[in-house]
Amino acid sequence: MNQPIVLGIETSCDETAIGIVRGRTLLANVIASSVEEHARFGGVVPEIASRAHLEAMLPSIEKAVRNAQISLSDIDAVAVTAGPGLVGALLVGVASASGLAIGLGKPLYGVNHLAAHISVDYLTHDQPTDPTIALLVSGGHSSLLQVDDITSKITKLGATMDDAAGEAFDKISRVMGLGFPGGPAIDRTAQSGSASAIDFPRGLTTSNDWATRPYDFSFSGLKTAVARYLESTPDYKKGDVAASFQESIVDVLLLKSLAACKATGIDSLVIAGGVAANSRLRAVAEERCAKAGIRLRIPSPALCTDNGAMVAALGSLMVAAGRGPGPQAFDAESALQVERVAL
Amino acid sequence: MTISLAIDTSTSRTIVAIIDEGKVLFESFHEGATEHGFAITELVTKALAVCPQPEQVVVGMGPGPFTGLRVGITFARSFAMARDIPVIGICSLDAIAVEKSEYTVAVDARRKEIYWASYKDGVRVAGPSVNKPAEVVAFIFDVYPDMQKLVALSHSQNETEPMYLRRPDAVPTAERA
Repeated sequence: MNQPIVLGIETSCDETAIGIVRGRTLLANVIASSVEEHARFGGVVPEIASRAHLEAMLPSIEKAVRNAQISLSDIDAVAVTAGPGLVGALLVGVASASGLAIGLGKPLYGVNHLAAHISVDYLTHDQPTDPTIALLVSGGHSSLLQVDDITSKITKLGATMDDAAGEAFDKISRVMGLGFPGGPAIDRTAQSGSASAIDFPRGLTTSNDWATRPYDFSFSGLKTAVARYLESTPDYKKGDVAASFQESIVDVLLLKSLAACKATGIDSLVIAGGVAANSRLRAVAEERCAKAGIRLRIPSPALCTDNGAMVAALGSLMVAAGRGPGPQAFDAESALQVERVAL
Repeated sequence: MTISLAIDTSTSRTIVAIIDEGKVLFESFHEGATEHGFAITELVTKALAVCPQPEQVVVGMGPGPFTGLRVGITFARSFAMARDIPVIGICSLDAIAVEKSEYTVAVDARRKEIYWASYKDGVRVAGPSVNKPAEVVAFIFDVYPDMQKLVALSHSQNETEPMYLRRPDAVPTAERA
């Protein structure tokens, strides 16, 4: 049987992203980002993002179809991020996907952004990864998940109680005048510093925390500690602060991920989401997983940040698993829980 | 004779119709200011059951509350692309039908303001603009675009950009107190 061709649309934040896959093969991955329009505001402005989505949507679809060397009518199914995310931004993608699906007479899959982030890993491996522990870290999310079946069974083990990891990067980057988005800026600045120069706190790692909330995260205390350090140390070294701050986040993320692997007996870890593009996280994860005998998978940096390929990938896995497309008419769900892989 | 799929989401209503040169083959709406995404799919599916092959899409480009407005426009554009048929954009206020030679129409713009435009002998003579109600004289409110009129206007108009009439609310970091 021919592998189905699935077009995926992602608009949950500031990237208008279209991906096309055939089975598990990536045919096209087009991303139009409005990140530069948000930079002077120090964060994503929802209305600016939504306007940019509307403007970029059709040209991006056309480009993806061209890059994939198919015609629109070759598409077997359309998948779209139904949530979580900015509701106005999500709705542009949902309405476009619906218009396409109805126009083409093809099924529409409304899928979960978080599950899609994890599923993009399946594009680069022949064998299914599940069951696996998944660490999902981005500007909007920080969760530790147990994935028994990527198309139907994901359990949340823990999540951030305040800021997302990527959000902490953005905020510290802003305070240090390094620019937006903060992730790449801190990563770059940290290259010239020492990760052990300053001993910043590790959130939720006291013995009491390990007993009561082993898989939750908190980054607000770290943020305050860094801000205080900057105030009290006028001649601080940017490289050292960036590297030590980054080390605290990386350390906690991996401590908890590996603890989850150990507690569940699952010897596989997938790290996904924009923060998974961080070079220090990738390096330390390799090191610690190798030592613990855990299979580690991290998508290539380009597939870690928001993209359409991951949505197409999850749609394709749903088709392959014989899962029906769910309701064809739906509204975006800004607070969609990770347990709902698809609508 | 062109069969049009007509869509407007510039108000709290999602309105969908199939118009064949002035004849209404299908018309329906859903009331719900935050339900355009769900409603558009339902209504268009019903419309296509009546007439599966529209030859063009005519869509209201606002002005109207942004989030709902974008649903109609992006749906219309994507559907038209999938079918390889043209999409024509119309100022939604122009499509409100009033049996008078001179009038002003207005729709809710939220934040205690209205989107409005004035007409004389079938021609828009002022607007579209956004103002406080007190700043606009004798306007007709609680009215919705008429799908027949929307389609009729497609012979003479094609707005390609959404009519937001407001800039996004946001203050650059450098200007914050």
